[in-house]
Amino acid sequence: MTTLSRRTLLGAGVAALATGLAACTTTAPTSGATGTADKAASDVKIFMAPKFTGLAYFEVARKGGEEAGKELGINFQYIGSDQPNATAQIATLTNAVPQKPNALVVSAIDGDAVAPALRTARGQGIKVVTYDADAAVDARDLFINQLSYELAATTMLDAALLNSPSGGLVAFISASPTAPNHTAHVTFMKQHIDTNPKYQGFTYVDTVQFAGDDATKSQEAARNLMQAHPDLKVIISSSAVSAPAAQQAIVDAGKAGQLWGTGVALPSSVKDFIKNGSSRAFCMWDPAELGYLATIAAHQLVTGKIQGKEGEQIDAGKAGTFEILKDGEVQYNKPLIFTPENIDQYDF
Amino acid sequence: MSRLRSYSWELLLTVLIFAGFGWSSTLSPYFLDAVNLFGAAAFFVIFVFMVFGQFPIIVLGEIDLSLPSTLAVGAALFALLGLAGVPLAGAIVVVVVATAALGALNGALVSRFGLPSLAVTLGTAGAYRGLAYLLSGSAGLTGLPQSYTALGSMWVGIIPVWVVIAIFVGVLFAGLMGFTRFGRQCYAIGSNKAATRMAAVPVVRTGVLAYTLGGVMAGLAGLVWISQYQSARGDNAEGAILFVITAVVLGGVSIKGGSGRALGVGLALILLAVLQTGMQLANVPGTSQTLVLGSLLVVALALPKLGQLTRRLRRVPEATARRSMGGSGESGFQTDPEQGRRS
Repeated sequence: MTTLSRRTLLGAGVAALATGLAACTTTAPTSGATGTADKAASDVKIFMAPKFTGLAYFEVARKGGEEAGKELGINFQYIGSDQPNATAQIATLTNAVPQKPNALVVSAIDGDAVAPALRTARGQGIKVVTYDADAAVDARDLFINQLSYELAATTMLDAALLNSPSGGLVAFISASPTAPNHTAHVTFMKQHIDTNPKYQGFTYVDTVQFAGDDATKSQEAARNLMQAHPDLKVIISSSAVSAPAAQQAIVDAGKAGQLWGTGVALPSSVKDFIKNGSSRAFCMWDPAELGYLATIAAHQLVTGKIQGKEGEQIDAGKAGTFEILKDGEVQYNKPLIFTPENIDQYDF
Repeated sequence: MSRLRSYSWELLLTVLIFAGFGWSSTLSPYFLDAVNLFGAAAFFVIFVFMVFGQFPIIVLGEIDLSLPSTLAVGAALFALLGLAGVPLAGAIVVVVVATAALGALNGALVSRFGLPSLAVTLGTAGAYRGLAYLLSGSAGLTGLPQSYTALGSMWVGIIPVWVVIAIFVGVLFAGLMGFTRFGRQCYAIGSNKAATRMAAVPVVRTGVLAYTLGGVMAGLAGLVWISQYQSARGDNAEGAILFVITAVVLGGVSIKGGSGRALGVGLALILLAVLQTGMQLANVPGTSQTLVLGSLLVVALALPKLGQLTRRLRRVPEATARRSMGGSGESGFQTDPEQGRRS
């Protein structure tokens, strides 16, 4: 092929593209397909999308959602990819919308990147409730926050005090610099150590380690911290993956009894440590009840029982009654601290 | 007849796409809906950019694992420039130059200094990811000007603009690899680097150029990201590399280099998109989705070998008869540059 015809071809291609783009519109096309028009109770469809599937924490929350689904007699489905990244969750949400669920219950892996997909859903009348990790405020109706960031921070510090009553040097392992909840937890913990007399026995390592909810990276971070700070007393992590992994690294290094791991963890993952005395306390909340509350709230938005406005009450039966705060935030706020005395009560 | 046979991979992919359509529409009643299908296609545009950016590099017999990280740098740069009030055209120039530099660095390390591309780009993938985190900060970047995000909410009829542009990108790369000197040199280098160098082909320059082009494509994918997701964060497109390499290899491009066509790559993208969309519309659990896509990659790698094997078995009597004449009757299936170039 000669150079001339090659250029001609390219020119023709560009021209074709330009013509095509000139016919652009900015109105979103609407699908011709219609969902089920009649809405009996069993036709209410609620999808729960965790950050990613397969993590024990989200599977426990799923059980709570399924329980709510059964009680309400609705069609409850658990959807998502096992890939822990934003693109996978965006794909999941994009493909959830055409199925016309009445509500989506979502833990956002990247609250800004998934926001356009959630806005599309809301634009089609789908109610959106976030739980565990929030999305942009205008992309959802309600956010069910497990613990206010500050309460989570003081709960973790309380657990740290149970481990090391005399205080000492504390280091933090967080999930990632882009996880707003984890970042806020560390900020509040530092602030309370600086100003709250209750925690004045503590000092902290200013640099935060990031382990991306990965057990291997968490162990490595813990090992590095032990090396760098021989006088370290407590490693706190607000990631349910990192906290038990850091404790494991402490045990493996033979430092149990001098150095304590704590933070947010599923009780089943730290039962052995607490039983054998290598840690005295971890904390969390009940993820099943959180999933239950989020699903109930989503259902009440669908039925019109609540509108999602500030000041409204959500009656979630056995879980309690919760008030909707500013910006559609609902605080679940039931921290649990697991100690040798009570850990046997928890089966998740 | 032999010309048709050289397209057997593309034919197989087409058959699989139709089968995928059939399977997906039985999986979910929501699948066969044009608006939804094109909407789902928009999701794959960032992958299209990275896949075609990766294509010439794999034809060279190399690999670039840093493309998703380069996308994150591109997205972060676009967001920063947008927030600083720089007009979009200016931002595109800056990002193209910056991501071209990132790609060229990979290319120089691999082609000029002969370092193994797998290790080099694994390293730069980490480094560029770090750079993206530095640029976008811990909270990520949002609140971008409308001009930056407009393309993400524009349609030609019912087709999202980005899908139209993605098709154009595919055609462009088909032309680039099929009809230009650069394309021919890529296939030649991928088939036999030493011989190509002896033939006075600028091996280093072609390599650097391919990597630079890959970087630019990933940088432009950053613009797609920005306009579709209206935000930038250090971890953008993390984990996308598996899909990118699967698409290229499933498209019939030999991972050892030297063969494969843009048409096949485009068809592989469509097949992967159809399967993934179908499974997600049917709420197939995440682990099963990964299993299906992973198996597809293994099958794609195994099928040509299987074909070779059966052909060899069939030729055994023939080959024995010809042995006295000194012909082996077996030509290198993956390493024949002519095979790959034929378009």
